[in-house]
Amino acid sequence: MTAVLVASGITKKFAGIAALIDAGLSVEEGERVGLIGPNGAGKTTLFNCILGVTPIDGGTVTFDGRDVTSDRVDQRARAGIGRTFQRIELFADSTVLDHLLIAERVRNGSGRFWKDLLGLGRPTAAERERADEVLTLLGLEELAAEPVERLSLGQCRLLEVGRALMTQPKLLLLDEPSSGLDRVETAALAATLREVQQQQGFAILLVEHDVDLVRSFTTRSYVLDFGHIVSEGPTAEVLASDVVRSAYLGDMEVPT
Amino acid sequence: MIIGASVLEDVARAFLQGLPPGTVYALVALGFVLTYKTSGVFNLAFGAQAYVSAVMFFKTRVEWEWPVLPALVLSVFVMAPLIGVVLELLVFRHLRNSSAISKLVVTIGLAVALPSLAEIFMGFETQSGRTPEGVLDQGASVFYDPFGIYAFSRNELVAMGVAVVAMVGLGALFRFSALGLQMRAVVESARMTELAGIAADRVSASAWALSSLFAGVAGVLIAPRFNTLSAADFFHLGVVAIAAAVVGGLTSLPKAMGAGIGLGVLIAEINTFLPRFAESRAWLRPIQDNLTPAIPFLVLFGVMVFVPAIRRSRDASDPLGGVDPPPMSIGSVVRTRQQVLVRAAVTAVLTVVVLGVVLGRADQSWMYLVTQAVVLATIFLSITLITGIAGQISLCQGAFAATGAFTVYQLVERYDLSALPAAFIGAGIAAALGALLSMPVRRLGGIWTAIATLAFAYFFDSVVLNLPFVGGGETSLLTGTSVPRPLVGPFDLADDQAFLVFCVLVLAVVSVVVVNLRSGTLGRTLLALQGSELGSQSIGISPARSRMLAFAVSAAIAGFGGGLLAMQQEDVNYASNFSPFVALVWMVIVVSIGCRSVGGALQAAGAFVLFEPVILKGALFGWLFRDPERIPDFFPISGKWVLVLFGLGTIMYARHPEGMAEYGAHRKAAKAERRRRAAEDRATAVAVDVEVAR
Ligand SMILES: Nc1ncnc2c1ncn2[C@@H]1O[C@H](COP(=O)(O)OP(=O)(O)OP(=O)(O)O)[C@@H](O)[C@H]1O
Ligand SMILES: [Mg+2]
Repeated sequence: MTAVLVASGITKKFAGIAALIDAGLSVEEGERVGLIGPNGAGKTTLFNCILGVTPIDGGTVTFDGRDVTSDRVDQRARAGIGRTFQRIELFADSTVLDHLLIAERVRNGSGRFWKDLLGLGRPTAAERERADEVLTLLGLEELAAEPVERLSLGQCRLLEVGRALMTQPKLLLLDEPSSGLDRVETAALAATLREVQQQQGFAILLVEHDVDLVRSFTTRSYVLDFGHIVSEGPTAEVLASDVVRSAYLGDMEVPT
Repeated sequence: MIIGASVLEDVARAFLQGLPPGTVYALVALGFVLTYKTSGVFNLAFGAQAYVSAVMFFKTRVEWEWPVLPALVLSVFVMAPLIGVVLELLVFRHLRNSSAISKLVVTIGLAVALPSLAEIFMGFETQSGRTPEGVLDQGASVFYDPFGIYAFSRNELVAMGVAVVAMVGLGALFRFSALGLQMRAVVESARMTELAGIAADRVSASAWALSSLFAGVAGVLIAPRFNTLSAADFFHLGVVAIAAAVVGGLTSLPKAMGAGIGLGVLIAEINTFLPRFAESRAWLRPIQDNLTPAIPFLVLFGVMVFVPAIRRSRDASDPLGGVDPPPMSIGSVVRTRQQVLVRAAVTAVLTVVVLGVVLGRADQSWMYLVTQAVVLATIFLSITLITGIAGQISLCQGAFAATGAFTVYQLVERYDLSALPAAFIGAGIAAALGALLSMPVRRLGGIWTAIATLAFAYFFDSVVLNLPFVGGGETSLLTGTSVPRPLVGPFDLADDQAFLVFCVLVLAVVSVVVVNLRSGTLGRTLLALQGSELGSQSIGISPARSRMLAFAVSAAIAGFGGGLLAMQQEDVNYASNFSPFVALVWMVIVVSIGCRSVGGALQAAGAFVLFEPVILKGALFGWLFRDPERIPDFFPISGKWVLVLFGLGTIMYARHPEGMAEYGAHRKAAKAERRRRAAEDRATAVAVDVEVAR
């Protein structure tokens, strides 16, 4: 197996305070990896560094065998990194369907200025078909024409997943996809993701506070604490280890 | 050795010379930072507020012949803070949760509305020589020369003295009074203060009063420097102060002050040394006189582009800056395809009817106005594209349009080209300019795009315009900038009717282009970018590329429209057509009527050109009564009401960003939806009743 993502030595400081110190992780093709850690550990920041949202103070990001450290966000996205956000980043004033259609247009790269001028830039039947597929997959088909302002938080998260899936990523970064979803919805999302993932063979890096979801969904996990990767290994072992007990769960009881 | 000494003396002289205007800039910058920090409002109306006080002072002193003291009390100490408090209470308090952009647009609206409002109520007309004297007698003619190298006029000394007193007073207020302490706390972190239980409302109102007082003081102090009181000059002053505030980092009052004084001195130094430098450099000479007024804008532009930290100053400086949820956005009306087609058809029919009436019956002056409205509608569509679709506030559309107009003038004048191909070339040059400008500007985002484009507009106005190959330099002063109308195939557009038809065709084509772009990849990409830049990038959209394209196309449309406007008037008429302040008014009208739809742009152009003659001059009534004699007595109403009305209309925009035109449609749609729901409920209720009955 080859690694689709290798991030090594990532260091990131905010106003002199280190949010990440020499953090590294790798994800193999088609693998499902967890990234856990207490609030403020730097998980979202690490995602931002991987995607290039914030400039890093040190380290390298290699994606799909290529050094992408100096690439812009949109370049990395087109290279195959998909992502959802902890704080929803949907397009205000757009409908659910619009989100998927524009993602598909960017992916297939058929947008041309002259086509726009001649009125040929509207969504094509093929694009609608693909969007419908993803909508059906996520159970959002009823909401296709709704503007995002009318969606619940859970539906927003699903839509973010759908938008990322439209780009046919090689690696999907999920930042707390279950927050805002109830147990049943979470289980459904996990099942859907697993199904699509097996069809398309992309890898997933999952940040999640829901321990059950991490345990059932991922095979391998990293633990991040105060910007350091403090533990790594098969998820079951990592979750049972003392490091996690002290770092991640603090004085809480570990659910078994 | 002697040369060295004299140069040193010149430096010192320029320094002293720069102090008086510098202190006034500092004063305005101080007030500006105060409101920005306490209420998050980037107040572009600051110059307008200063103008109102200056006009009041002129009125009381010169026309009513009041003594200095009561005149000062009324115009500075009563009027100015009152305006501030009223603005806070009636406008900005209700916009707390609006986006920074909306607030900025409102202040632009106020910058347009306030001066006209003041002129209407005080019965003031801008006219050469109508400006107040300084506060003291013979302010401009008595001099003092403390160092033996530069003689300060009495006015200048007063300006410096007052500025120093104001700054010391503000410092003392901050240090020693409870209110000052609270204000300082709000300046540090508005949210933190609110959490600590300090009434932000009261503090904010006081800050507005105080900063407006500063505006008033500055207005009265600076007025004697102008030969004429004019709103545009005071707006310009406001922008200079913004440059100082931005150089000062927008966070610290002492730095803003220092930057204001520094700017004044810098301008004086350059004024002194540039002419010597230019003596041996011919290319500098045409712009030499105009480079100095452009310095604040160059500085402003430079700082914004090269010091990215400035742009985040407010958020970064507020420890709780990130906790507020982003402002809610109002969904635009979602229309079915059928509705869109019906609307388009209705518009087309209406256009043909109006066109028919105008072509058949209108006299020359009406024809002229209607043609002007049609051409402006084309230009306004460039605002629809850049603001309504790309979500960027561009305040330099006037410069783009002027680029097109001057290109036509130059190509016709120098190379005998026909005006029509020249207009296409003009559009191309404007597009290149737009693309070029978008490179530094596109990363700024939000209000900073607006400020940078404003800075560019003023740079164009004071430097570029004066280049011989743009505005014609001295030639144009002698002969004007005349632009003939072209021949198109068998049609001679010198004929007014033919020209009107031609302009309508252009407008139709540009409308279709804008509609196509909006529904095509570019429009949908820009909409996504507006919704969430990060989200867009995460699916592979390049913000830089999309914004550059938007700027270029918008500039091209404005450029072509500018060329047409010049052809229509057979002269470029830069000052009345394209100056930065005029472009500001365009933006205000388009935004308040509706910048998201093509219809909004058309209505805005109609309002801009025709509102005054049709409504305010009473032509509509005359027509309705079929008798010009029966027009009611209160007509004609001053044309300034147009500016007031649409300036204040931006407040509507802040609450309903889709604009008046769309807001109406929105409400109608909402009503229909409610009715449908109610009917559904009734149906269910009936069904339930039937169930129960069974
Ligand atoms: N833009 C920023 N500016 C300053 N500090 C930041 C910024 N973004 C994150 N931080 C800081 O970096 C640290 C890591 O934050 P991050 O959001 O990555 O944590 P996280 O592990 O995702 O936490 P959570 O589980 O709450 O989502 C925190 O201390 C946070 O305050
Ligand atoms: Mg996080």
